[in-house]
Amino acid sequence: MKLKHISVYLVGMVLLSACATAKAESPTATEALTATEPVPTSAPEAGECVACHTNKERLIETAAPIVEAESESKGVG
Amino acid sequence: MAPLEPWEKVLVDNETFSQTDHGELTCIQCHNGTNVADKEQAHAGMIVSPSAQPQEFCGECHEEEVAAYPNSLHNTQAGYWTAINARNGNIPEDHPALDEMFGNHCATCHTTCGECHVSQPKNVGGGLFSGHVFEATPPMTRSCTACHGSRVGNEFLGKNEGIAGDVHFREARMSCVKCHEGADLHGMTEETASADHRLSGAEDPKCTDCHAEVASGADGIDMHTQHGDGAEISCQVCHSVTYTSCDGCHVAISETSGKPFFETEATYTTFFIGRNPLQSEDRPYKYVPVRHVPVATTSYEFYGENLLTNFDSLPTWVYSTPHNIQRYTPQNATCEACHGNPEIFLTADKVKETELAANQNVIVNAIPGPVEMFLAAMPQPAEHADLVTDSCVTCHEEGIRNSPIVPESHLEFSNDSCSGCHKLP
Repeated sequence: MKLKHISVYLVGMVLLSACATAKAESPTATEALTATEPVPTSAPEAGECVACHTNKERLIETAAPIVEAESESKGVG
Repeated sequence: MAPLEPWEKVLVDNETFSQTDHGELTCIQCHNGTNVADKEQAHAGMIVSPSAQPQEFCGECHEEEVAAYPNSLHNTQAGYWTAINARNGNIPEDHPALDEMFGNHCATCHTTCGECHVSQPKNVGGGLFSGHVFEATPPMTRSCTACHGSRVGNEFLGKNEGIAGDVHFREARMSCVKCHEGADLHGMTEETASADHRLSGAEDPKCTDCHAEVASGADGIDMHTQHGDGAEISCQVCHSVTYTSCDGCHVAISETSGKPFFETEATYTTFFIGRNPLQSEDRPYKYVPVRHVPVATTSYEFYGENLLTNFDSLPTWVYSTPHNIQRYTPQNATCEACHGNPEIFLTADKVKETELAANQNVIVNAIPGPVEMFLAAMPQPAEHADLVTDSCVTCHEEGIRNSPIVPESHLEFSNDSCSGCHKLP
C-alpha cells in the first residue's frame, strides 16, 4: 500500500515537472520577440484638428476677432 | 506683402502636407493640445511654435542644423549687441536698461526654424506659407525680405522709385539663398558660427565666389585691373547704386497703449564712397560704400540717460553692401565720375557736426585725383613687392636710402593712398 502511494506521488511529480518545463519556454520566446521587434506606440489621433484646420468656413466661424491696434511707430523701421 | 486673414494663417492643405515627411506626424505630436471638436478645449496646452524648442522638436531629424543654430546671428542677434555694447562702453550698470530696451524693440527679430521654413515671421503677423507644408528654401518675399525689407529687400527687388532692382534678381531671378546659403544662415560655416556681427570675419558670401575671373585679373576689364583686381575698392563701390540711409531712430513705450514703438527722423537715399572702417586682410578695400544707420546719441533715452556714452567708438556711416548690383552704374561710366569728384565721396561737409568724431575713420579727406595723374604716376620699383609695410613715408619723407622725397603737391594725400597711384609694376 505504501509502495503504491509512493508510485502515484512519483508519477505526479514527473507530470508536474513536465508541465513546468513547458511553461518555462513560453516567456523566453516572448522576451526574444520584444527585444527584436518593439511594439510601436500609436501616435495621438488628431482627426479633429485636421477636420477644423482644413475647413475654411469653420475657421472663419471660429476665428477670434483680431483687434488690429494701429502702429504708433513712425518712419522706416 | 499683403496681410493674411486670420483663417488664412492657420488653414492647412492636408492633401499636400500629409504626403510630406512632416505630414507623417500627427498635429498633437508637435503642437500638443487635444483631439476634440471644441476649439477652446482642443487648444488648451497647445504649443503654437514647436520650433522655439528646436532640440526637442527638430533635432531628431535635423541634427546638424539644430546643433549649429543656437550660435547663429538669426538666433543670437549678436550683431545688435556688438554695436550696442560698443557705443555704450559696455558699462555693467547700464545693462538692465539696455536689456529692457532690447527685449521690447529688438528681440522681435529673433527667428525660429518655423519662422523661415513653415510660416511668416511673427513680427510681420505670422501665417502659414503653404498650408503647413515645410519649405526647405524659405520663400523670399514672405520670409527673408519680410524682415529684411526696408533696405535690402527694397533695393534687391527694385522697389525704390526710379532705381532698378539688383541684376541678380532682375535678370537671373536669384533669390536670397542663392548667395546666402543654408549653412551660412544656420551658422554652420567657419565665418558664421558664433559670429558677433554680420560683417565680422571674412566676407561670406563673396562676389568673387562666382565672379572668380575678376579677382584673378583674367576678365580683361581695365577698370578691374586698375583697381587692384578688386582688392582696392569693394565691388559695390562700382556696381551698386543709390541706396537708403536713415537718421535718428528713437524707441519708447507708448503712454496710451503701453506698446513699444519707434520713430525715425529721416529716411533718404544716398550714394557715398567712404574709407573702409573695417579694413583687414579679409576686407582689404580702401574704399567702400557707406550707409547712415539710424542711431543717435539719444536713441535709447526713454530707458535711461547717457546709455550711449561711447557713441564715437563706431561710425554712423557704416560699411555697406547695397543689394542693388548693376553692371553699368553712373560711377563706373567714366573715370571722372569718381576721380576728382568730391560729390560722390563722404567728405566731412556731408557729416553732421555731432558725428564727425564717430566717422573720422570713414570720412574721405583727400579725394582721389584726376585719372591723368594716376596714369602718369611713376610705378614703384619691383623690389617694393617684398616690403612688409605699406607706410611709404617711412622712407620717402626723409629720403632714406636715396628714396625720392614726397613732392609738395602730395601733401594733401594720406600715407595709405600712395599705392593707389604708384602701383607695383
